[in-house]
Formats: sequence, C-alpha cells, structure tokens
Amino acid sequence: MTRSPGELFAEPFRLHRRDLLALSAAAGLTGALAHRAEAAAPGQLTYAVHISLAASWLDPGETSGLITPFLLLYALHDALVKPMPGTAYGAGLAESWTASEDGLTYDFVLRPNTLFHNGDPVTSDDVKFSFERYRGANHVDLQGRVASIETPDPRHVRFRLKQPWPDFLTFYSGTTGAGWIVPRKHIEKVGEETFKKAPVGAGPFKFVSFNPGIELVLEAFGQYWQKPPPVKRIVMKVIPDEGTRLAALKSGEVDIAYSIRGELAEELRKAPGLKLEAVAVQGTFAVYFPEQWTPSSPWHDIRIRRAVNFAIDHEGINQALTQGYSHVTGSGVVPDMFEFYWQPPKPEYNPDKARKLLAEAGRANGFDAGFYYCDSSYANIGEAVVNNLREVGINVRLRPIERAGFLKGWGEKQYKNLIQIGPGASGNAATRMESLVVKGGQFVYGSYPDIDELFPRQAIELDRAKREAILHRMQELVYEKSLYAPIWQLAFLNGVGPRVEASSFGRIPGFPYTAPYEDITLKSA
Amino acid sequence: MRQFVLKRFCYSLLSLFLLSVTIFFFVRVTGDPATLLTEPGASEADIAAIHQKFGLDRPLVVQYVLFMTSLFRGDLGQSFYYQTPVMDLYWSRLPHSLLLAAVAMAFSLIIGIPSGIIAAVRIGSFWDSVGKVFALLGLSLPSFFIGLLMILLFSVYLGWLPSSGSGTPLHVIMPAFALGWYFAAAHMRLTRSSMLEVLGSEYIKLARLKGLPQRLVIAKHAFKNALIPVLTLAGINLVLMINVAVIVETVFAWPGIGRLLYEGISFRDFPVVQGVVILGGAMIVAVNLLVDIVYAVIDPRIRLGS
Repeated sequence: MTRSPGELFAEPFRLHRRDLLALSAAAGLTGALAHRAEAAAPGQLTYAVHISLAASWLDPGETSGLITPFLLLYALHDALVKPMPGTAYGAGLAESWTASEDGLTYDFVLRPNTLFHNGDPVTSDDVKFSFERYRGANHVDLQGRVASIETPDPRHVRFRLKQPWPDFLTFYSGTTGAGWIVPRKHIEKVGEETFKKAPVGAGPFKFVSFNPGIELVLEAFGQYWQKPPPVKRIVMKVIPDEGTRLAALKSGEVDIAYSIRGELAEELRKAPGLKLEAVAVQGTFAVYFPEQWTPSSPWHDIRIRRAVNFAIDHEGINQALTQGYSHVTGSGVVPDMFEFYWQPPKPEYNPDKARKLLAEAGRANGFDAGFYYCDSSYANIGEAVVNNLREVGINVRLRPIERAGFLKGWGEKQYKNLIQIGPGASGNAATRMESLVVKGGQFVYGSYPDIDELFPRQAIELDRAKREAILHRMQELVYEKSLYAPIWQLAFLNGVGPRVEASSFGRIPGFPYTAPYEDITLKSA
Repeated sequence: MRQFVLKRFCYSLLSLFLLSVTIFFFVRVTGDPATLLTEPGASEADIAAIHQKFGLDRPLVVQYVLFMTSLFRGDLGQSFYYQTPVMDLYWSRLPHSLLLAAVAMAFSLIIGIPSGIIAAVRIGSFWDSVGKVFALLGLSLPSFFIGLLMILLFSVYLGWLPSSGSGTPLHVIMPAFALGWYFAAAHMRLTRSSMLEVLGSEYIKLARLKGLPQRLVIAKHAFKNALIPVLTLAGINLVLMINVAVIVETVFAWPGIGRLLYEGISFRDFPVVQGVVILGGAMIVAVNLLVDIVYAVIDPRIRLGS
C-alpha cells in the first residue's frame, strides 16, 4: 500500500532511543568515512606542515633570511635562476645567462612563452620590477651593488654592477627572493595588498586559498613552462604538534609530515607503509670556544680545544637523535653543499686521545669548564655533548636558553666558556665565514689575522679557481686552529605516506622541503 | 547603585590599563623578534631593517604611546610574523574558539553536574567514590595527555575521528572533550560541595519533614540553589576556555585564539601577544563587572557595603 506525502507527515513522528542510537552510529560512520575520503582525494597531496605559514611568504618581495619561505616560493613562483637538483644555479625562467669577464655585467635570456598564472607573459620588465620591488633579506646590499638594469627587449635583461662582485649570482639566485619573478602589470592593477592576499606567480602551482597560520590550498598550473604537475591539488595544513603530525600521517589524513624527530622518528621508521625521508640541511652544528683568545682561559690552549673534538661521539649522537641521517663532515661552519666547501678530515671519537691531550695541557684530572650555552630547541644535542665532555673530565653544565634569547645573547657576545652554534643562513663558504669566522662578523668573539687577511682577497677575486683556493685555505685554517669543534650537519627528518610515489625530498641539496613540486608524483589508485 | 556601577567600571578600566602596561613591557624582555625572523648569521643590516620596519628601534615609551593611541582607535597593530592586522587574525580565530568553548562547556556541564549531584546525594557510596576518582583524574591529568591518548585511539587505531584541524562536527569532538575534561571535574566538585551544603540546610530538612519525596527535594529545592555558584564559575570558565585553550588547540591544530597566542609567543610576535592578552583580559574584566552588577542588583548589601 502506498501513502501520499501528506499522509506520511500526518502520522505522529516518534523517535525511540534505539532510533537515536542508530542515527548517531550512522552519522559517526558517515563522518568517519567522509574524513577518510577527504584525505585520500585523488590527485590531492596533503601536507602536515610544522611551522605556521605566514602571508608574507607568498610574496618573494618579502623573503626573509629564513629558508622556510622557499617552501612556498618553489610551488607558487619561479625564478630566473634557482637551486635545482644537482646544481645551485638551475635554469628557471632564464634559459641561459652569461657574466662578462670584468665581472660587471650579467646577461639573462628568458625562455619564450612562459606565463604567469593569470595568463600574462613573463617579460624582462617583470624581472626588473621584481628586483627593484624586493625588500627582503640583504636587499640593501644587493640593490646597492647594482648600477642599472637594462631591458632591451622582452626576453633580455642586463644587470650592470657598480663593482665586480663574485657573489652576485649567489645572492640573486639562492640567498634572497630578488630573482623570483612577480607580474608587474597585475600588481600595478590590483595593488600590493590584494597581491599579497592572492598572489599570482609563474610557478607550477597557483593560489586557491589561504588562512594565515592554518591552511594553504594550491592547484596545479597546467601551463607551467616545464610540464603540467602530476599532482593536481596541494593542501598544506599547519599542525604544530609533532605527535599529532605523525598521527595524521598514520591515519592517512596527510601524505607528507614535516619534521618528525627523536623517538617519534624511530616510531615512524618502524611504522608499516610509511617512509622516513631525511634531508641534511645547511645548518651546521659545532661547539664554539669564545675564550680561545683569552690567554688565562683553558680554551686558549689548542690541545684542550682538540680534546673536545676527540671527546664528542659524533656518530653515536647521530644514531640516537637523527637515526644516523645527519652528516658528520668535520666542518663546523660551512655545510657540504655550499659552493667553495672544503672537506676537512672526518672527526674521530677517541676519549683516550682526548684525555691524553688534556694531560699534556696540564689538565689530567679534568677541570671545571663552566657553562655550555645552547638554543633550547637543540638542548638534546647539547645534553649528549655535555655527557661526552664529562666522560673525559671536562666538567661543563648545560645552559639551554630559549631560542630568541639565545640568539640575542650569542650575537651580543654575552656568553663565555662554550657555545653550541647552529647557523642555517643560505649563501656560500664566504658568506658563512663572514658572519662566524672573520673579524667584525656578527657572531665573532675574536679572530685570527691570517684568516682575516684572506677574506678581502677572495671578495674581489674574479678567477673562480683562485677564489676557491683562498676560501679552501681559510677553512683549512679554521680546522687547524680548532676554532670550532664540529658536531654535525643536521638532518631534517620527515614522514611520507603510502600514496606518495616520489616526494622530491633531498633533490635540491640542503633544501629541507619537497621540491621541485612539479616532480612529485602519487601512486595510481 | 549608579555610584557603585561607576566605581566598578573605573576599577575595570584601571585593571585593563595595568594589564596593557604589564603585557607591553613584559613581552619586550623576552627577546628580539628580529632574531626569529631571520636565520642565525643574518646580516646586521637585515636585523636593523626589521627593527625599523616594526618600530622596534624607537624608545620603549614612544612604542607604548603609539600602541595605546592605536588601541584607542580599535587597532591592535600589525602582526610581525603574519604581517596582517592583529584584529583580522583575532576575528578569524574567535568563531573557532567560541565553538570549541561552547561544546567543551556543554560537555563539562553534562558530565560535571549530574555526577556532582549523584556524589552528593549518595555520599560515601560507590558512586561518590567514582566521582572523587573522576575529579582527581580530571584535575590531575593534563589535557595534552588526554588529547594524545584520544588521537591514538580514535584517529590512529580506530580511524573514527580526524586527528586535527577543523571544518566538520567530527573535528570538534576530541578537542572539546580534552578541554572540557578538566572543567567537568571542577564543576563536579563544586556541584557536590554546593549540593552538600544546601542539603544540610534548614529548609531542606523542613521539606523532608513535610514528607516531600526525595526526588522533589533534590530537583526542586536543593538543585536550583546549589546551581548558582556552579553557573557563576561556569561563566568565568567559559571565558577562560575561549582565551587560554593554548595546549588543546595546539595539540589538535585547532585554529582558535589559544593557538594564536601560542604562535605569538613562539615568534615573539609582540602585537599578537598584546592583542590576545588585552582582548582576553577585557572579556574577563567585562564578565566580572557584569557579575558584580548582577550581584549588587540581587543583594543590596553588596552595593551598600561598597
């Protein structure tokens, strides 16, 4: 018997407890299935990002000295020249470039038919505009060295420098955001504020939506000059807690989880279906001896500084804290992927040699070495090193200081005894030594004249081989003088879920995130 | 009455002024935000440019005067980290915090009040012991621990609930439980003690002597009176839930005000910390002012005594 809708509604509606229970269960199941389906949407790659995403990172013109904004720049934008797999100077929007013999002129030729996300062509005018608009890290230095920018036609750009500067390309392509190109016409039309909220770039993915600190959504740009990205949609969810990121990866809510450390990394490694992918980044960790120039200090004696080097169990700490993925290079200042890197001898863990050196220095019974200052974010490394030092008789107390306070105290040269450093700024061997080794550097408590004397020579040397020789010699001297006791080059550990075929982790040397984005692939269902 | 209200209002303004002074100078002794906006090794020119951009190169007093001038215009300044107005950030996060607090409060009252009543009515019984254990666990187990246990069980092993984020009703269940857990225990304890006090009063004895059934005595006579302090506390707790659910919101990546405060503190984002603290403080001061006024209306002794 069929009933009319009127009859159906005329019947009194009675809801029983069992109906409520059944409804709740059905709603729960539907919701649970829906949340699973959301994570596994075909063509979508979901990230659990460890750090709050800021709107300023969407705009290359605001790039700070942090590496983190490049996490977004590689997706949304493109540069003339940028670090790419296998090279620090990969061809992006420029198909070729040349430097004049006198080092005063750099010519770039743009690729034909490259487009911004709004369909406008990328031209030399955009390159000039992007450079002049840049207000991020090192903009004063970079722009101050450029005399003029010429754009003879839409595909050619010429930078004229005031004086030869061998590091021009290092700064223009890697260290700053000045070489990442934004659309002049679009920005002039919509205004700076609108552009910052909804950026238009020339990268493999275009902007869809952004909730600052919460979530960013991007969509594949089918007309990207290199190739249409295989991943169709990227969702970056900010999940500040490390344990929650791992849980989201395990439950399949996200495909890639950034920064999973310590014991959680061990758990990730053992989890079925998940992969731990590590990238050695440009952060070099070392113990600095700020009192080595003070004759009354024990650290003035090079034998004691060398003893520290022999006392540190580099590989043991590496295994315990970063699953053995950090690079134990022996270089305390310059990371191994930097231009002009010099490979020092690998450090040796030998407590007996350490004790012997201490005895030769008249410290056979050990000594009270005061404090070991470190950034509290990396106090776990400090704890391990302090234990190693105590084992050979160097009695030092760990003094972890919250990151901002630590960096302030370090930069203002307030610390004595021992400092654990971990510089991560981009650049090359010269820029790294400028701030950490050479007289006048931001974190330099003292210096050696023979090293100082070499620095200005390399800065004006246009012959690459000669410059490299000078910079190698400087690093050699840093090693010989035990200016620092190296710990390692930190590995950034990440989790990758079962849907990801190729994550792109580690393809660009020193870059901690997944790039190039256009090379990331998902497994077919 | 008018004098009483005016006096309370002036106290409230004074409290907010002192709060603004405290938070403004306190955040500035915690470190230099420029060092967190660059990598270690950044040039001094970059650090100086950041100081200049955010006005940190000016004397502290000048910075404070500018901050207060903007505050009176309803402008909390621009976030150093996000580089967007703090007010926009706050308004974008507030609805999430209100939702979380409302659900957590509902949960805490639904659990806390009935269990408190049962514990009081059946004092010394098995249920009273269960209530005491619940209160002890609620007050002693940290919310992040509860949160992580729930994520492991309901997200990783059972796959029923999303581990983090927001957007669907399913997203709010675990953070609301984790946030409401502590408050449920607090409400349970207060309901129990309040009920015990009321149940021992003369009018309840009279009601019983008159032969009223136990259920009627509890529901009609005791419960209503015992509820007043619980609801007063719940009102204050609701404001706290909105503003200081820092740990729960961080563990569950819930996009609320607590997480905004956490981000502000992490990055030494002075305008964000100042803004969140002052607006949170204003909410608490406003609720207290309201409670004072309502009490004064109900009980003339309060306003006359003042």
